[in-house]
Amino acid sequence: MSGSVKDRLTISNDTRHLLALRDFTSRAARQGPLSAEDVHKIVLAIDEAVTNIIEHGYNKGESGSIDVEAEWEGDRFQVVIRDSARVFNPESIPAPDMAEHVKAGRKKGLGLFLMRQIMDEVRYRYKDGVQNELTLVKYSRSKV
Amino acid sequence: MAGFRIQKEKLPGGVVLVGVKGFLDAHTFEQLEREFNTLFDAGSFRLIVDLSGLDYISSAGAGVFIEAIGTAQENEGNIVLIRPGPNVKEVFDLLGLSQIFTFKDTQDEAVKSLARTQV
Repeated sequence: MSGSVKDRLTISNDTRHLLALRDFTSRAARQGPLSAEDVHKIVLAIDEAVTNIIEHGYNKGESGSIDVEAEWEGDRFQVVIRDSARVFNPESIPAPDMAEHVKAGRKKGLGLFLMRQIMDEVRYRYKDGVQNELTLVKYSRSKV
Repeated sequence: MAGFRIQKEKLPGGVVLVGVKGFLDAHTFEQLEREFNTLFDAGSFRLIVDLSGLDYISSAGAGVFIEAIGTAQENEGNIVLIRPGPNVKEVFDLLGLSQIFTFKDTQDEAVKSLARTQV
């Protein structure tokens, strides 16, 4: 694949928009050479990332927006999520021991685990004027 | 409008069949959480959950099952999952939950599995 295709979606911090987010991600991911299974996994990873921002970034009752940008560059599918919620760096959270997690009946922290399992890169940076910027990358590996 | 729906059916032997349909995510998981709590409050701890109508599950939805299976097993019950679609099963696999939950292909097999766990 050559060139780049960029799509953008802005939603408010409400879980009712997750369905629209998943449709957006699916449409964008399907523009590249990914299997249906990989598209589903990427849709899940982006859902988890945005859910974390809605549930943990913004305070209850606080309104905010989340900007999602999806782009293909060659065999690289990149999604950049920007928000102005409180600073949250997922890289600072260690990977959970899932067996222990489940044994203890803990429900939280699973989203981050899935994001890391599914995506090839998960990078966070704090950016002046934007606040949080999370970049998730998946390679189609079509050249392999 | 796409959403999430739950159906319940009492089966012989105190087993309850719970059918879930649609999208189980951070927007809808509380509906299932409430349903499980209602069943537990009524003393129903042996549940079969039919996942065949479930189009999508995220970790918020999987978290409901993680919490509920603990309560069910503490009360000598269990939750047996039947007929997940490939995308739904994949989420359980990715989270390492497929070793914790019992999956069966049919309702009859699930009923037999729950009968075996009965004390």
